[in-house]
Amino acid sequence: MPSLHDATPRLRVRGLKKAFGGHKVLDGIDLDVAAGSSVVLAGDNGSGKTTLLRCIAGLVAASGECWIDGRPLDRRPSSRRALSYLPQTPGLPGWATGSELLELFGRLRGRRQPLVELPEGFLPRLDQPVAELSGGQRQRIAIAIALLGEPRLLLLDEPTANLDASGFDALGGVLRRATDRGVSVVIATPSPVELGGTADRTARISGGRIVPPIGPAEGSADCEHGHEPEGPSSPRQATG
Amino acid sequence: MSAIQQTLGLAAFELRGAARTRWVMIGAGIFAAAALGATFSGLRSFASLGLAGAGAATDGLVQVTLLLPPLIGMLLGAGSLARDRERGLLAMFASQPISRTVLPMGSFLAGLLAVWAVVAFGLGVGGLLISTVATLAEVATLAKVVVVALAAAAASVAIGVAIAALAATHQQATTAAAAMWLLLALGLDLLLAGVAPGLRLGPSGLLAAVLVNPIEAARVLVLLLVEGPGALGPFGAYLIDRVGRAGAVGVLVGSLVAWTLGPLALAAIAIRRRDI
Repeated sequence: MPSLHDATPRLRVRGLKKAFGGHKVLDGIDLDVAAGSSVVLAGDNGSGKTTLLRCIAGLVAASGECWIDGRPLDRRPSSRRALSYLPQTPGLPGWATGSELLELFGRLRGRRQPLVELPEGFLPRLDQPVAELSGGQRQRIAIAIALLGEPRLLLLDEPTANLDASGFDALGGVLRRATDRGVSVVIATPSPVELGGTADRTARISGGRIVPPIGPAEGSADCEHGHEPEGPSSPRQATG
Repeated sequence: MSAIQQTLGLAAFELRGAARTRWVMIGAGIFAAAALGATFSGLRSFASLGLAGAGAATDGLVQVTLLLPPLIGMLLGAGSLARDRERGLLAMFASQPISRTVLPMGSFLAGLLAVWAVVAFGLGVGGLLISTVATLAEVATLAKVVVVALAAAAASVAIGVAIAALAATHQQATTAAAAMWLLLALGLDLLLAGVAPGLRLGPSGLLAAVLVNPIEAARVLVLLLVEGPGALGPFGAYLIDRVGRAGAVGVLVGSLVAWTLGPLALAAIAIRRRDI
């Protein structure tokens, strides 16, 4: 696993384009995410945040290129092992219990232990069917699933959806511990302020492209066009 | 973890879901009731003619077995993948380090085992009733019916999975599966009865019409195995003349195998190529 100061970014995206029908959603996205750093993708509803994550996760075919640690990302299982994806609506089946879901996804990932230890009380009772859980409790299970195995890149689409204040704090702590271990995190959210100091920088998507930040609250001024400042002196700046 | 282990893990999960939701149980209950009804009325009509044995009951059971389980199989096959895609679970599965082919295969295996359980339950109930009057030969006949029913159910689940892989929504998939069942179970028969004389299809045309319909192929296969080529009239005579009895069985079994593997291959290609 490359170090935090490796010149090769953990994730490199170049010229990513995606259109649905005649509608261009992504129009040449360039994005670098260093190992152990976290980026918030901000933007209005329909700006393409989810589509970008889905393209990187290999769920949606797009033109352009994505690399992880210098290797092309494709739909092969070996590529998928390096990343973990939390969809906007995980849609966990109501009949299954939390432990059954964690068991299944742990088997599919080849490792049943989470990337980082989850705080006590983060997960609801795992012997309860999902149908009996609240939206926030379901989201906590989906987050736990996303943390299974040893991904080097976490792609989280609105991970704070339905979470209460304690869930926010716990998630923030989990993500910080993950980045401390060198894992990179990309979070899509329409309201980056909610994430407080969780992310190092914010990349705003508008018109299918990553646009320069519009103010200090939105993120670091030196991550124009989604490119992270290279080299060992890269600062990790909090947003919001 | 190998692709086979991943497929088995996914299938076990889906099967648990099928068992916990009511639809498979309801399907099994309806099929068992229909099988019981067909068996009972067959036995009564046979007895009223002063005949012994289970011939009519078996015939009734064949008709029910080649109608309801294929419907349940197609709906089960069409349901799981399409529903998972709609609610976002398929995206979670597809982003795991697994081949995308695992997804339709796991769905197929779970649907197959569920519909086989339905068939076993329904035919078990019917068979239990038949066994009170049946001869040993008739029990063997029933066993042949069971094997063909399981093969027809497999083909129907595979068709359902292919429909799910191609459909945009869960509703679209289940509607298309129900329409497909209607076409294969009843529509093509009626169409054939209407147009065959006018088109002068002949035995070779009829054979082609049978082979392009897995439910019809299963029906003809059962007739061939249970009652012999005589039950198929001039068409049966043509079939035996061209390929022999074993060849005819082989051709019909081949049709069912093709109707299982073909849709599965189509589903695998569709799932690998399309956006999730």
